[in-house]
Amino acid sequence: MKLIFEYEQQPTEHVEQIQTQLDLPSELIRDSLPLPNVNEIDIVRHYTNLSKKNFGIDNNLYPLGSCTMKYNPKVSEELARLKGFASIHPRSPVEYSQGSLEVIWELQEALKEITGMDDVSIQPAAGSQCELLGIMIAKRHFENKNEKRTKVIIPDSSHGTNPASVAMCKLETITVCSDSRGNMDFNEVKKKISPDVALVMVTNPNTLGLYEENLLEIKDLAHQNGTLMYCDGANMNALLGISKPKEQGFDMMHLNLHKTFATPHGGGGPGAGALAVRAFLSDYLLVPRITKEDGKFQLDYKKEKSVGKVHSFYGNFGILVRALCYIRIWGNQIRHVSENAVLNANYLFAKIRDSYHVPYDRRCAHEFVVSAKNIPNGGTIDIAKRILDYGFHPPTVYFPLIVEEALMIEPTETESKETLDKYAQVLVNIAKELREKPEIVKDAPHTEPSRLDEVKAARQPNLRWSPQ
Amino acid sequence: MNYIPHTKEDVTLMLNEIGASSIDELIENFKPCLTSPLKLPEPMNEMQLVSYFSELAGKNKIFKYFVGAGAYDHYSPAVVDHLIKRGEFMTAYTPYQPEASQGMLQAMYEFQSFICLLTGMDVSNASLYDGASALAEAVLLSSSYTKKRHVFVDNGLNPSYYEVLKTYCNGSDLEFTNTIDENTCCVISQNPDFYGNIKDQRPLVEKAHHNKALFITCINEPTSLALLKPPGEYGSDIVVGEGQSFGIPLSFGGPYLGFLAVKNFLLKKIPGRIVGMTEDKNGKKGFVLTLQAREQFIRRERATSNITTNQALLALAATIYLATVGRKGLVDVAKNSYYKAHLLYEKLGKIGFKGLNEKYFYNEFCVKTPKAASKIFSQLLEQKIVGGLVVDDDKIIVCCTEKNSTADINAYLEALK
Amino acid sequence: MTERRFTQDHEWVELSGDTATVGISNFAQDQLGDIVSIEFPEISSKFKQKEAMAIVDSVKASSDIYCPMDGTIIEINKNLQDHPELINKSPYDEGWMLKLKVSNISQFENLMTQQQYEKFVGEEKG
Repeated sequence: MKLIFEYEQQPTEHVEQIQTQLDLPSELIRDSLPLPNVNEIDIVRHYTNLSKKNFGIDNNLYPLGSCTMKYNPKVSEELARLKGFASIHPRSPVEYSQGSLEVIWELQEALKEITGMDDVSIQPAAGSQCELLGIMIAKRHFENKNEKRTKVIIPDSSHGTNPASVAMCKLETITVCSDSRGNMDFNEVKKKISPDVALVMVTNPNTLGLYEENLLEIKDLAHQNGTLMYCDGANMNALLGISKPKEQGFDMMHLNLHKTFATPHGGGGPGAGALAVRAFLSDYLLVPRITKEDGKFQLDYKKEKSVGKVHSFYGNFGILVRALCYIRIWGNQIRHVSENAVLNANYLFAKIRDSYHVPYDRRCAHEFVVSAKNIPNGGTIDIAKRILDYGFHPPTVYFPLIVEEALMIEPTETESKETLDKYAQVLVNIAKELREKPEIVKDAPHTEPSRLDEVKAARQPNLRWSPQ
Repeated sequence: MNYIPHTKEDVTLMLNEIGASSIDELIENFKPCLTSPLKLPEPMNEMQLVSYFSELAGKNKIFKYFVGAGAYDHYSPAVVDHLIKRGEFMTAYTPYQPEASQGMLQAMYEFQSFICLLTGMDVSNASLYDGASALAEAVLLSSSYTKKRHVFVDNGLNPSYYEVLKTYCNGSDLEFTNTIDENTCCVISQNPDFYGNIKDQRPLVEKAHHNKALFITCINEPTSLALLKPPGEYGSDIVVGEGQSFGIPLSFGGPYLGFLAVKNFLLKKIPGRIVGMTEDKNGKKGFVLTLQAREQFIRRERATSNITTNQALLALAATIYLATVGRKGLVDVAKNSYYKAHLLYEKLGKIGFKGLNEKYFYNEFCVKTPKAASKIFSQLLEQKIVGGLVVDDDKIIVCCTEKNSTADINAYLEALK
Repeated sequence: MTERRFTQDHEWVELSGDTATVGISNFAQDQLGDIVSIEFPEISSKFKQKEAMAIVDSVKASSDIYCPMDGTIIEINKNLQDHPELINKSPYDEGWMLKLKVSNISQFENLMTQQQYEKFVGEEKG
């Protein structure tokens, strides 16, 4: 398809035309504006045709592990677009934005109940910003206690964001191996914990889709050492209404609202994050805080201990509306979400486990990891591309890094048995194809475009259109 | 049950296949287990939900806005929202499988191109969270590139951005200083600045470069780029900003659209996703995420940023907005905003307001009020007008866009009589 | 020029006087796959043995290059900045990465010989 820059037409008029001379000297103004002019009909066709070359949950199963690609209710889209929400300026006086503040308040209350934590901030734009914030809070907490702690213990199965966030805060990552059951190795934690460890960051269930069995022991060890426990809650879709992270021993945790609470992932964002903490860390949370007095909501900026602010305004409000929609739809029955997420993952796992290598042979939580290492003639990348030929989206591949040729599969609760059966059949077929007629897998996808050359893209970067 | 398609029979068949007697058996080791349901309200059906949220939305009052300060009430053509709602875009995720994501990838390539054309820079990424965090990322990049730790902020930076920057800098052990010297890693200047001033940046750029510091231009109101000299042409090494003006609803402050563009020499240091053009096996043009070895999921603790999810759908909205208004429409938007602001400024001058701007401003200006600014603000509120941002006892920053009609401007003046 | 020796991290070293030329082994380039870029240290920066001194990126991976012997960087192979594929095509010749002025020549003796390295790689492959 051509690029939008290759059109030149009579444009459709959307705003008033204006003939006015600018009262600005030439050194401050630009010589030319090299944008295209396109009539509306071709705008609509260009982007409609592009959308047809894109795959979303609305097309078919999209079981990207760790990403929780569940059905996004359409009613939430409509509600986030209500004029009262979509058209309110963030600098509106608080007495005229009570509806927005109530949405945020109600969402915070619900998240406290879901996580068990005592306080929460919904300002972060994504999980990675929550991690950064969590580490800053830990740093500040120990500074105030006059303790010098410079290390963070992280399991080798963690998301890459964990060590990257630690590095951004100039602390040091201590990596701990996983044991033969896929848990964080307790003996290693025991060996590596020391008075200068600020934080143990754990993803639970972990990225192998396994509930951390040593969690309570690790928590005791950490707390005896004065170390804080942080939960990367990317996988909270397994635990809603089943177990509360605070009761598991965590002092802080984040939620990726776009994952667990079904807001559309938008081709890579926007998302929203929430950082929930125990009471003793509450004063460090971001400003402004929302307070409620006599039924009126206010914004409170006067928090001396706060680590500050990470967003231009109050957070990704439009996403918060959608997340609250999902929480209200389920209400006190939200446990069904996680129960069925776990059921679907275990079912799909049972259907394909004989065709793939199973690195950790346990019941899984809401997702599972298998490996293609024992299948001859091809690797995970070939399997992923071949899945596209069958009209499905591949799982997350080559992650977590500790499993060779990994396929990380998270079907979510919103998929029917029939869809899971079809997906299982596809995975079983491809394993068979690799044994019997590998070329068809290795040449996949047999779609338009065929396999794209990522090496060329990286070696000869072409990252933009330029005028001739 | 809501959004769970299983019948009872399905569940029984599935448990049989798994070899478990109940769902409870599957979750028995998720300890400690809750024994009672969460204390949340009763579930709602769709009609109840609509009425609940409509009531909440009704508690917000939408007025006429003469306030900007980081979020701008521009008109967004209907096609923008119509097109971004397509499920193929909206319900996709990061395009890890390029063969199934050509639509979003091409749109992001177009987005990067638009940002480069507007800013005069060489390379743009495919978006960051918002303007404030984009600025923070630019500063971390500067420190990592120059291996220096001092940050200089010019007057006129949006105070919210400064707060966010401070948070990130504290976390990363960077320091703010009042002078530019050989320890300075970057010089940050907002243009137009928080008060609307259009600045001639060349002297400051020269000072930054003389001290081997990077020059960062920060933009809050990107429609200004339709008229103003692109920052790349006056020597900026990094341009960051907020793209909300490009077709994205005000939505109480988010989700918005951070952008970050650099000169070529900083290419390998850019945080976030970048889309590149390549070929498929048959030599046909296509797009992929590229230069990924910079990113956290590969580099882990050696990555320069931890960013993962970005604002792809809003980058798509901005792309469609820019394509739709086009060269001609964007200039109209900018000229209207400029003209309306100058008209109101002039008329306020006649009723006792004193202009505080330097020589030139775009669509925001700061005035000294003839009586307490909070009084003025309340007077306007009574007429359903948010009249600006009060920044001091007797100072207010006022903003206009193409949506503030001449009638609105007259209503503003009328309210002050 | 001396014989070529190897580290356990798959770097190779050739010594000429106190100047060591460093690259990565054929086995290493094969494991990494198509190399797309290399991040060099600055000239005259100092490294101790086993310290990370450069980063090699392929499409899906990013790997540290460790310093094989204590020393100071005196030259980098600028050609690789535009042609990183030379590391894949010619790891021992055109794909050399950098030169160090070494401060402790005796460390060379502790590196693996070609024969030892081949055995080591055989064991690693399992």
